[in-house]
Amino acid sequence: MVKLFKAVIFKGYVVLLMIFTVWYGYFMYPLVFGFEGKEQAAVSLKEMGEGVSDKERMFANMILETSKKSRIDLDYRVIDQPYIEGRFHHIGFEMEQDNASNCVLCHGNVPHDKSKEVRSFLNMHAFYTACETCHIRPEDKNEKIEFRWYDKDTGERTENPVALVEIEKAYAHIEGASYPTYGNYGAKIAPGVIEGGGFRFLHSNEDKAFVERYLAEEKVLSQKQKSQMKKLMHSGINKKPIECDQCHQEKNPYIPFAELGYPPRRVDELINTSVVGMIDKYKEFYIPNFLTPGDQPPED
Amino acid sequence: MKNIRPAYFVKFLLTIISFVLITPEIYAADELNCVLCHKHRGLSRIDENGEFRLFYINQELFESGPHRRNKCKDCHTDIDRIPHKPAKKVDCAQQCHIVEPSGNKKFSHKNIAETLAKSVHGKLDENGEPKKYAEDYPDCKSCHDQPLYRPFSFYKGKKEPGISKRSISRCKSCHTDGNFAEDFYEHVTTRLHKSRYSVETIEVCAKCHQDKAFRERHELDDVITSYKETFHGKMVILGSERTPDCIDCHVVAGENAHLIEGQDTPTSAVHKNNVSTTCRSSGCHEKAAAQLASFQTHVTYDREKYPMQFYMLIFFKALMAVILYFFLTLIFFELLRRLFPKFSFFKEKKAENYEQVISEIKEEADSKSRATGKNGGHHE
Repeated sequence: MVKLFKAVIFKGYVVLLMIFTVWYGYFMYPLVFGFEGKEQAAVSLKEMGEGVSDKERMFANMILETSKKSRIDLDYRVIDQPYIEGRFHHIGFEMEQDNASNCVLCHGNVPHDKSKEVRSFLNMHAFYTACETCHIRPEDKNEKIEFRWYDKDTGERTENPVALVEIEKAYAHIEGASYPTYGNYGAKIAPGVIEGGGFRFLHSNEDKAFVERYLAEEKVLSQKQKSQMKKLMHSGINKKPIECDQCHQEKNPYIPFAELGYPPRRVDELINTSVVGMIDKYKEFYIPNFLTPGDQPPED
Repeated sequence: MKNIRPAYFVKFLLTIISFVLITPEIYAADELNCVLCHKHRGLSRIDENGEFRLFYINQELFESGPHRRNKCKDCHTDIDRIPHKPAKKVDCAQQCHIVEPSGNKKFSHKNIAETLAKSVHGKLDENGEPKKYAEDYPDCKSCHDQPLYRPFSFYKGKKEPGISKRSISRCKSCHTDGNFAEDFYEHVTTRLHKSRYSVETIEVCAKCHQDKAFRERHELDDVITSYKETFHGKMVILGSERTPDCIDCHVVAGENAHLIEGQDTPTSAVHKNNVSTTCRSSGCHEKAAAQLASFQTHVTYDREKYPMQFYMLIFFKALMAVILYFFLTLIFFELLRRLFPKFSFFKEKKAENYEQVISEIKEEADSKSRATGKNGGHHE
């Protein structure tokens, strides 16, 4: 019995050494032959040569840029952030992805582009507001729309974000909350209805599955099928979305900010002072030159 | 001003006043309340060239560098209204409102821009004409993002990252007004060592110098790869701060870090006549002989340009591969033998059991003895 045990130990030891030998050969391969292969693969898209157009080069760069990160080590803290070509100011956080929305599967998370004046603001809202909040209205006007937060990662309904409370703390000058987070709540506001005593989002997992199936089979679909399916996928979307002042108004805002966890002073900003003022005077709102004596605002 | 209606103006005024009153002191530099919009993380768009533009300003990080004393408008001078049109490119060489204490003049990076223009990275040649592929040459933002303080303390001989409350409390006992003590402390201690790790410096240079198309346009060697293969490069990658990065060798000691000159320029730190001086500069190989610098620092394995180095590389790689993998194979088979000591592809014909072997031997011996007996009788 002892003899057998010793033999098993010995054989196991030998097998381990054999595995180590093979692994060592694999481990040493890049050290012997260099890492050029991997690096070359990474830059090959970028180096498409002289014969390609700027558009092609830019497309390749965009594909490469998805993996670019920036790390700054200050010794007392490390800042990890996405790398954006040509950006001077630091971001300091990873951009949250909305894995639950079916719209972003095609439109991405920077979808607004048509209106030059407001596109950045609309994209800002898309960071914490689901597309259907503004782009889908109930067919039955008497149907009451409710709003709840959903988790960007899971798509499940979630509680009001804690980050909203931090905003209030910052207003109150509570230590540690001097730099509140605006917009990066890990969740989005989405509309829904009360059904059978429970809340149901207007968007559903079935909708998302439908879009995912379309994207998976897009290559084999006929052009007619594509048109049909796109029409179907976009059914229910209103031509005229909710407008800024429907939410940013005092009397009856479309979104009940307080119920969604916004602190009182933030609600006041959203429906009373700064934001509303900004919207009202968007095109004729100039910084008065008392702030910069001697300067005159340029003519349009 | 003529487009402002009085009611709007009053509202605006109230808005500004309310924000000045309710926002924390961190927004002190933001007189125009730019963060009203730019504090939102999703403020972004795709520009006409297809580039992603993020307009978010991280206030905490903005407050962590020397620019925190600047107002937004100091750099973004063309923005004079809210909302505003796309901002023009910032000119770092313009004057800002900060007074530079040594000269009591308004601060500007103009002298840096002038130094850069004189360096190998300047866009114009000695005749003032744009160099070939001038668009490839860097401007400030090509190498710099917003600088961040990297303070440290040296309290009782122990270097520690960050601000030491014990140290700064001594400053603040006299310099009580505003953030003067913090600004001064962070600025000076950051400058006492490198404001960024060497590995970050290498990455900055690599943005251009590792780009193959860029190198081909300017007929440059792959100096980043060759640097990473050196002892210096490996130490830097492992996190050493005492090992030279690009700036340490390519800028003459004591000179402006932006004055990097080509190796053919006689005043360059890497000119053949100056390399040994550079290697032996203070804090480096001070006591080394001049011959230390006689080797090719950046060995580039380009078959056409450096055939000798290329074939030597091939030879040594092949030699190393043969030796390493030969012995690894040998070890593997040796272990295999230990695992299967009796294994053989060419088995000899074996007897089925012991008795059979014995009987075969006996039969053989008998037949031999019989044969011997017959032969012996014949002879007799």
